[in-house]
Amino acid sequence: MTAKKVDFKRSKKWEQELNKCIRCGYCYELCPLFKSYTWESDTPRGKLILIYGMIADEIKPNQEIVDKIFQCFYCKNCSDNCSAGVPVTEVLTDARADLIEAGYDVKGTIVEIDENLCSVCGVCVPLCKYEALSIKDINKDQKKIEVDKIECRGCGLCVAACPSEAISQIEGCDITLPELHEKVKTLIQTYEDMKLIIFCCNWSLFPGMQLSESPTIIKAPYGIIVTMCSGRVAPELILNAFHEGAWGVMVAGCPPEECDHDGNYKTRRRLVLLKNMLKELNIEPERIKLEWFSTGESAKLKNAITEYVKELEKMGPIKKIEIQKMVGG
Amino acid sequence: MKIDIKKIEEIVGENNYSDNIADLYVYSSDASVHQAMPAVIVKPKTIEEVQKIVCYANKKKIPVTPRGAGSGTSGHTVPIDGGIVLDLKQMNRILEIRPEDMLVRVEPGVVDDDLNRALNQYGLFYPPAPASSRIATIGGEIAANASGVRSVKYGATRDYVLGMKVVLADGSLVNLGSNTRVHSAGYQLERLIVGSEGTLGIVVEATMRITPLPKFRCLAVANFNSLKDAGNTISDIITSGSQPSMLELMDKVGIIAVNKAMNLGLPEVGAIILFEADGNVKEAVDYEMKKMKGICEKHGGSGIEMSYDAAERKRLFSGRKKLFAALSRYKEGIICTDLADDMGVPNSKIAQTAEKIHEIAERNNVIMAVYGHCGSGVIHTKIMFDTTKKSQWKDAERVIEELYDYVHSVGGVTSAEHGIGLSKAPAWKKARSDILPMMKAIKKALDPNNILNPHKLMDAPDDWVKATNLRYNVRS
Repeated sequence: MTAKKVDFKRSKKWEQELNKCIRCGYCYELCPLFKSYTWESDTPRGKLILIYGMIADEIKPNQEIVDKIFQCFYCKNCSDNCSAGVPVTEVLTDARADLIEAGYDVKGTIVEIDENLCSVCGVCVPLCKYEALSIKDINKDQKKIEVDKIECRGCGLCVAACPSEAISQIEGCDITLPELHEKVKTLIQTYEDMKLIIFCCNWSLFPGMQLSESPTIIKAPYGIIVTMCSGRVAPELILNAFHEGAWGVMVAGCPPEECDHDGNYKTRRRLVLLKNMLKELNIEPERIKLEWFSTGESAKLKNAITEYVKELEKMGPIKKIEIQKMVGG
Repeated sequence: MKIDIKKIEEIVGENNYSDNIADLYVYSSDASVHQAMPAVIVKPKTIEEVQKIVCYANKKKIPVTPRGAGSGTSGHTVPIDGGIVLDLKQMNRILEIRPEDMLVRVEPGVVDDDLNRALNQYGLFYPPAPASSRIATIGGEIAANASGVRSVKYGATRDYVLGMKVVLADGSLVNLGSNTRVHSAGYQLERLIVGSEGTLGIVVEATMRITPLPKFRCLAVANFNSLKDAGNTISDIITSGSQPSMLELMDKVGIIAVNKAMNLGLPEVGAIILFEADGNVKEAVDYEMKKMKGICEKHGGSGIEMSYDAAERKRLFSGRKKLFAALSRYKEGIICTDLADDMGVPNSKIAQTAEKIHEIAERNNVIMAVYGHCGSGVIHTKIMFDTTKKSQWKDAERVIEELYDYVHSVGGVTSAEHGIGLSKAPAWKKARSDILPMMKAIKKALDPNNILNPHKLMDAPDDWVKATNLRYNVRS
């Protein structure tokens, strides 16, 4: 794709803020995209550098740069923790608006609708807190769901809720359902003592190492999988964790009123239904646990995990016959 | 200098290198004022890959600039001659923790805080943590001989290096040092690599000494009416024989900045001192704290708060922890630049150096904060000015010259813990002209083709402003 002329009128108003970024890089540790992709250009600092370069006319926008700018889950870990107070996501949103206006085709972390699968049932529309989804008329008889690419925050609640599985998101940063399934499977198969799988919201901090690995010392009976929001934890993900051999599943989300996307309310409803289903199958509903943690409550999370592992050890593994019933085997 | 991208791809695979403009531009800068574009970014995962890349680069005389977190403040990782940037963050495994030998073996990309998270499970820790420990890599810390808030008791990176594996400029691999606390067998070559800023070899594995976590830590904060009183308190604490595990200073500029950035509500006094003692016997820690508190009070220290509680200590330290970045918020229109940021002065010169910094800043129309690990003589500053104006860059140049002349005149050093890189090189070369031929000879012997992080340290340009593009948009 050839370079397009972009009027950076919205982005330019942030030049002073971009100067305030002293490029310390402390935001790396907090960025889920950096942890997945490991390129500095995926970090909040990297994105700010790219925007600065474009408005200072040092680099010309191209598809590679645009793709980076449109990759962000808006978890705001960076802006909430930036000691220089740079409103990273606000700068990013304005840069996105400038690039969209110039006609760039973008994907990034924004959701995509497969029109062949979408029945335009509209379930997703009221789910989106950012009003990024709407029903549009294509012609007199046909309608479609349209995604506002500037407003979409990539939280993925609509992906988890779509009954036709018509909504999808970028692969490669462990957020899609197949990727999460794979992660659960790897954890359980790699570590034989693995009893508990924890789906931990990226918005609340989680304990343990962030950017390094230690293959020699991991002996924990639990594995943490970071999801973009507890609202993204689809029921089949939990059921499959049991199928793979987990003794229990904990979903750790932000407390009510604190979730940016209102995803936690959906999780709560979903988990009540799932627990009822377990009861029907003669499996202890206590094998699913929902806990709320605010940002910075990693010590509380650690304690909750320790206690829950003890509970699970008392319960023991799920009997195989019940799991087969559960997944239809 | 033509880089064969296919060759690079053969070595590290298609997902571990990039020559697209988005990556090149991001990797062209660090936390310094400098900026220069590389030709390709390479992310090796194994020692063999590093060897192959360096071997290829040496044959073709392509510059190779190793890079950890890219949090350097003087342009160490800015590839002034282009070429390959070797991003070592993927070599991030803690290979072995040996509590029985009190050592740890790590790859260079392991992050300092992560290492400590792992060690804490064994009741151990790795002490030389810089303020950037949440992202700083062990490789980068070795390259800069980094230290941090606890250097007053525990020393710097060099005091913890036992051994290392290093890829030399011809691609060969050497094992330096030992697994023992001391060795006496010729040149201490592992020490030579510490502080070499990637100019002599690429550290691909490090064996570091570790130490038990103390059972008790007590942190206190004291307010002072003047910077001079605070500076003299620090000097007195050190000469009194007290053993602080932390002794930090923050001036009024710093206090105002963290209050603005984080809404901390700290009293906006002349200066604040944070002092900490640690140990395994509470009475001994109490004794040290009481002694230091007494010295503070003798110099007019007031509002002294003290705590053993971890959460409370975190609260007391929060302003200092985030000060570096918070300085950006000191005043609208004024930008915080990483210049003249980490000089070291003798213990007796802390107060007068701190005051001199403010005097030089005022005379040259810039603002400077004074803070740092003053217990070990480290004085951090930042030069804050309107970076869009050419005239202000001239002001900054004058400040740097005057400041370093002063620091050197009182027996201080250009850099205490961040390294020389590009922006500190002119002042450092002026002060240490006697050692430059020796350093150049070592460099030539180990890297005859001058491929490893060229034109840094003793070979850096004499004009730091023109050494590279400035990363700021300078207008008039």
